[in-house]
Amino acid sequence: MNKMQKALRELAEMDELAARTSPVHALHPAAKLLATIAYILVTLSFDKYDLSGLVPMVLWPILLFQISGIEVRSCFYKLRIVLPLVMAVGLFNPFFDRAVVLRVGSLAVSGGVVSMVTLMLKGLFSLMASFLLMATTPIDSLCAALRKLRVPKMLVTLLLLTYRYVGVMTEELAVMTEAYHLRAPGQKGIHISAWGSFLGQLLLRSMDRAQELYSSMLLRGYHQHFHYVDVKPFRSRDALYLGCCVMAFLLLRYVPVAQLLGGAFVR
Amino acid sequence: MIEFQHVSFAYEKDRPVLRDLSFRIERGEAVGLIGANGAGKSTVMKLMLGLLQGEGRILVDGTEVRRETLGEVRKKLGFVLQNSDNQMFMPTVYEDMIFAPLNYMVSREETDARVDAVLERLHLEYLKHRHNHRISGGEKRMAAIATILAMEPEAILMDEPTSALDPYNRRLVINIIRELEQTRLITSHDLDMILDTCGRVILLSEGRIAADGPAEEILRDRELLEKHRMELPLSLMGR
Amino acid sequence: MHMADALLAPAVAATMYVASGTAAGISISKLKKDEDPQKLPVMAVTAALVFAGQMINYTIPGTGSSGHMCGGMLLSALLGPYAGFLSMIVILAIQSLFFADGGLMALGANIWNMAFYGCFVGYFLIWRPIMRSRLFGEGRSARRGRIILASILGCVVTLQLGAFSVVLETSLSGITELPFGAFFALMQPIHLAIGLIEGLITTAVLLFVHESRPELLQDVERAEGESPRRSLKSVVVILAVVALVVGGGLSLLASSNPDGLEWALFGNAGEGYAENMGLDEENFGVSSQAADTAAGIQEKTSFLPDYAFSGSDSAAGTTVSGVVGSAIVAGVAVLICLAGGFFRRKRKSGQP
Repeated sequence: MNKMQKALRELAEMDELAARTSPVHALHPAAKLLATIAYILVTLSFDKYDLSGLVPMVLWPILLFQISGIEVRSCFYKLRIVLPLVMAVGLFNPFFDRAVVLRVGSLAVSGGVVSMVTLMLKGLFSLMASFLLMATTPIDSLCAALRKLRVPKMLVTLLLLTYRYVGVMTEELAVMTEAYHLRAPGQKGIHISAWGSFLGQLLLRSMDRAQELYSSMLLRGYHQHFHYVDVKPFRSRDALYLGCCVMAFLLLRYVPVAQLLGGAFVR
Repeated sequence: MIEFQHVSFAYEKDRPVLRDLSFRIERGEAVGLIGANGAGKSTVMKLMLGLLQGEGRILVDGTEVRRETLGEVRKKLGFVLQNSDNQMFMPTVYEDMIFAPLNYMVSREETDARVDAVLERLHLEYLKHRHNHRISGGEKRMAAIATILAMEPEAILMDEPTSALDPYNRRLVINIIRELEQTRLITSHDLDMILDTCGRVILLSEGRIAADGPAEEILRDRELLEKHRMELPLSLMGR
Repeated sequence: MHMADALLAPAVAATMYVASGTAAGISISKLKKDEDPQKLPVMAVTAALVFAGQMINYTIPGTGSSGHMCGGMLLSALLGPYAGFLSMIVILAIQSLFFADGGLMALGANIWNMAFYGCFVGYFLIWRPIMRSRLFGEGRSARRGRIILASILGCVVTLQLGAFSVVLETSLSGITELPFGAFFALMQPIHLAIGLIEGLITTAVLLFVHESRPELLQDVERAEGESPRRSLKSVVVILAVVALVVGGGLSLLASSNPDGLEWALFGNAGEGYAENMGLDEENFGVSSQAADTAAGIQEKTSFLPDYAFSGSDSAAGTTVSGVVGSAIVAGVAVLICLAGGFFRRKRKSGQP
């Protein structure tokens, strides 16, 4: 399977997840989007040494995973992109910051280690949050929500159209790549002699495709206006959800839950 | 319903694609437009839809196709593209189906009613909320036809409606075409399908009408067909 | 060089959102003024193409590795800066939403680092002046020469600027202990190589388009009677800007003068970084060789002194409760998972 086929499968998986039904899927997309943004912002706002403050933030995504019926492990595949990047930056912390900030029993932990772990958890948590958003919200409802949040129409329409053709183009390139490698066994990538023509050919064809696509829009009465699926109205249930989420995040941000919990057991 | 009067067209000067073309299609007729590659079949369709401008007069339901009348003309003509991916540009089948009616100021309720009626008629209810990039080629073609039917056009133009379909899906499409009551103009190289769906055939060759008449007659004329780089439909070969 | 959410402080993320949002707003109003209804489908199809095109592995001659394309310069050469910018935004949005490549909050920063420089700086300061100049003279081969120069220069400069922004944003967010100068010295040279490769790929694609349909490229065919607005002088100015950027980087690199240990680190981690930044995604993964090497060094250098078991446990103060609490939270999380699984199974078995 080449990279494009993998990407297509990933897209298909997200589609399937978003097409399921659950109490989380039923929420208004705007409420979910705003709650996700709030969650990530609060997560990122934790101090780099505030590991014990950050840990309880895991509860929200975990809870949502369970309510929506989506397996936690289904997002781990996507970690392959986030984690190495975060590690590449975070790995330096233990070298430069060696002041001992914590002793557990006889084990001394340096500030650098704490900040590195905090960084990784931040990466993991924000990934889980955005994964949950996309796994419970189809792209068309998300676009409708973006419209409701006053994102310019041109951008939203472009997102919608591009998403539609990402699948088509990726498939075409997947087929082209396969055809290329069938005739060039042993080559890992595209040889320099075909650098321009490989994508260039498809690009020229795409321009004709865009032309036909535009005709198809014109023939169906297009006059620079796109109609979106109506999202369900923003109900009190959605407001309640959003309110509760934000409250919970602020609570977790300002009340050292882990510290207090631990304090109850350890003097 | 559709009338061409002395229509000529050329993409480049001195290389005419259509030369002095005249024909008339009556309301409710089903016409097959056949011809070898490059005979000018799709140009005829594009002229009718106002995507290209040529010389001569084209009338659609009594209205001449001109820049000012494009909106009126296009509302009456539904065009099913050969490549359904280019036609279905919205994420879901439903959104594609409501695109045209809403553009033509049909109310939301009426649009939804139309969509449901069309889907029920084509037995495609299960496709309504499916994503366009997640359905099979055959389903995509059927959905594309449904998209056009939801427009409630007075005439339907189809460009190669059965290309790249398996026998089962091809049969489904043929049955759909046969059951339509609108005026139909279909271009195809699938002459068996034309024979099954059209009462009349117009044979184009090098920009001119080489033959125009009942499908049974023209499609049976081996000599005529072979002269214009085509073959007898398979179903007629044995006879 | 997609930034991740975790690398940004909320204030930095928000600032970048505002900056990118402003640029997007300007682009939208410019495009609205143009009133070219056909532009939207062209943008969508081209953006989808570039999205897919980023996954192509290009073999770099003479090496075993392969390069990739990001596409900012390509898009602005094909669509112009405004349409190119919006297309790039959409590509980055789809990547962050569906593939977790760059985060939701980091999107603003990523748009700035990759789309803004590639489309606006790349177009207005490099592509257009060069294409409209008389550099290399008149005629077809001169145009080819201008395309080559503009593509390579554009990609190198915009990637340098992008990499610099990554360094700046990360440092301002205060999540890394890596000194600014060292981080800078690590990022810029890698992106010099990445930029060169991107430039070569972009050149190849644009030359192909130029051969078959030159009218698709911005500013290539001058309008009749329009005199060239830029002269060689402006090209020299651009080259000077580039030299300043690169030179500034080099001098900073020299002045930061990291000690031997740091250099060794950069050598190893740099390799891993190049991979993560898209030079070779095949070897991508948490357990990449470079990460292992870095971890190995870390074990030798820092684990021993810092993780040493200290004799007394009296120093274990308030933070121990934090650790215990965190453990309890983790336990609760696991319990929630188990409970969820239990109910799901129950519901499933309850169904006929």
